[in-house]
Amino acid sequence: MRKATLLSLFSSLFLLSGCWDQTQLNETKLVRAAGFDYIKNGKIKNTASVPQSINTEAGGVGQVNNQVFYAVGNTARQSRIKLDRKISEQVDASKNLIVILGENAAEHDIYHILDVFYRDPKSALNARIAVAKGKASDVISSKFEETETTVGIGQYLNESVRSAEKASIVPTENIQTICPVMFDPGQDFGLPYLVPEKNDVSVNGIAIFHGYKMVGKIYGAQGVMYTLLTGKQKHLSMSLTKKITDKHKDRILNYVSIKVKKNKRTFNVNVSPDDKISAHIKLDMKVVITEYPRDNLTTKKKIQNIEKALSKRLTKDANTILHDLQDMNSDAFGVGRKLIAFHNPTWKKLDWNKEYPNIDYTASVNVKVIGHGIIE
Amino acid sequence: MNNSHTITHRQLFFIIVQSQIGVGVLSLPYTLFAKAKTDGWMSLLLAGLFIQISILAIWKLCEMYPKQTIFDFMPKIVGTKLGVILNTLFVLHLFSVCVVLLILYNSIVSKWIFFQTPRLVVISILAFTCVYCITCTAREIARFLMLVSPLLLVLFIFVAYAYTDVHLLYAFPVGATGIKTILSGSTDALISLLGFDTALVFLAYTQGKSNSKLKVISYASLCVTLFYCFVTFTTYIFFNPVEIVIVPEPVLYMLKAFSFKILERTDLIFLSIWIVFVTTSLISYLFFTAKGVQSLFKLKHHKTAAPYVGVICALIASIPASKIDVQLWSKLIGMSALCCSALFPIFLLLIAVIRKKKEKGAVST
Repeated sequence: MRKATLLSLFSSLFLLSGCWDQTQLNETKLVRAAGFDYIKNGKIKNTASVPQSINTEAGGVGQVNNQVFYAVGNTARQSRIKLDRKISEQVDASKNLIVILGENAAEHDIYHILDVFYRDPKSALNARIAVAKGKASDVISSKFEETETTVGIGQYLNESVRSAEKASIVPTENIQTICPVMFDPGQDFGLPYLVPEKNDVSVNGIAIFHGYKMVGKIYGAQGVMYTLLTGKQKHLSMSLTKKITDKHKDRILNYVSIKVKKNKRTFNVNVSPDDKISAHIKLDMKVVITEYPRDNLTTKKKIQNIEKALSKRLTKDANTILHDLQDMNSDAFGVGRKLIAFHNPTWKKLDWNKEYPNIDYTASVNVKVIGHGIIE
Repeated sequence: MNNSHTITHRQLFFIIVQSQIGVGVLSLPYTLFAKAKTDGWMSLLLAGLFIQISILAIWKLCEMYPKQTIFDFMPKIVGTKLGVILNTLFVLHLFSVCVVLLILYNSIVSKWIFFQTPRLVVISILAFTCVYCITCTAREIARFLMLVSPLLLVLFIFVAYAYTDVHLLYAFPVGATGIKTILSGSTDALISLLGFDTALVFLAYTQGKSNSKLKVISYASLCVTLFYCFVTFTTYIFFNPVEIVIVPEPVLYMLKAFSFKILERTDLIFLSIWIVFVTTSLISYLFFTAKGVQSLFKLKHHKTAAPYVGVICALIASIPASKIDVQLWSKLIGMSALCCSALFPIFLLLIAVIRKKKEKGAVST
């Protein structure tokens, strides 16, 4: 009797796994990269890359076939549903790695497109997000050299953005991390800016946003300075190559390359009694010299000279960025946020969109060399 | 009372903690924000202070009538007839609390993970697990609640991980909403802190000195208040004040964005741990209810009442279908629970004290 009860109890275990909520992998197509563009009539074009591994002979390297699908709809969700009709199996975006916004989509309200990502409980909020030069569909559908082999386009794009993040060329963001900042009236953000080239795609700078819209770009090496100004303390390789003199005929000798080891940001926002706002960012950097062909870093004086020249140069760079940001009216470092927090009465009185381009906004950089590799 | 039915102080502590932490934790920051804005965490601290008064009353009642549950001493305080009526009402209130626990649990689970599974199935799985758990003695229940308590640490660590991406400035300016709004927010906070009232039945089983019992319950509620406060504050500095208004389950949403090498969706792990805490709350309330039903129908053992209580709760809980219904039910039952669990013990104590004084006066004359 007891045995029978136990047996029936045990066999009832098999009934425990319900069959209502299951998604089977062989019945779904996983989207690894999704792109959004506005087309002429204001509709949204959704591009999805679905990698399919191709079975090869036993022992061979698995090849990945990138299938790219398009669909056009009035909203992001509608275009996804249309996409589903074109693909044999159920489309699932829960393993999405990266969302690419076309430049004209980014210049519209990006929240309109992203709403579907924030609303869906299954969506991948930790997917990276980037802006593409031109059309997102071009980036996703082009045949890059690296993607031919084993990785899908989603993974390839994701990795290239990630390596740019590691080098601090672009700030580290994903769909969720931009959300609070996007809503914030006192702060804006920047996203990686991708440029498709012939055989690859390069992360070429930072797309600067104001509110929900893209308002400008910061190119190339300036990105490192931007990231440093956001207050990022350290990363694997924050490298800069800067010209510090014009004295030498040999072009290469005018340059020095550094790697930032430590970066400390002091960010002050002051309101004067007559409601004038001034903001100042001070960066204290500890750097290691990674390239200096002129050599002779033996004396303290020489190092101090380099420190001075670098500080001057970087201060100038930082101020250029702040100035550019003011021109674009993008408060990427959150002066407004500081005002809300510490000068609330002042904040309530002013119209930040009008005020921000006119505030007194400066930066200063103080460089300290703490090492110079294994030679002097 | 049988000796094997008693519980120790430490077990009491975990019973109170486990009953207090329940469904509320996921949406608490959102409900608090609706009233007190970014100062919601202060409302919570205030609410923590207020419930100390109720806890004091509950403890005093149980001290006056040792080794008795509320259903035993109610008739002694207010008279037999009124006692039966009040007992019935109190059991109804407990039923409604169990029902609302199940409703809220279902609404979150069906919204986040089980989109297709029918309501009744989701609800009855939990209800019947709890019914099985409460068929045993108070000591065994206490042991189970203690056993799952380490999971609290996991919950804590998950939430603490959010500090890798917070904006501390969002919490400022502190206290901008004014004392009035902070106070009005604390009623919502009180509802989420309910659960300490299970002491009305569990104190009867607790051994030991009376003073230390009070200490244990107070510490338990302090721990829960601080934990909730930590969770609430974390979400307030993670989400922008403008954003949190559209995120009804901020805690889960926050975790959805984090992924580790081996864990991609932290929110799902969190949700499965959270279900354990819903279970524990439901266990202690169902036990409470079953005890009430036992004394109402003069049953020999509360075991007999348990399945009926479970089935009734599960059936009622699967009625509300839309989000609006759920909100209405939880709001109404929340208010009634607040009156019955937090205020009622205080009144009961007052009556009891006045009675005792009169009796003393009668004896002395």
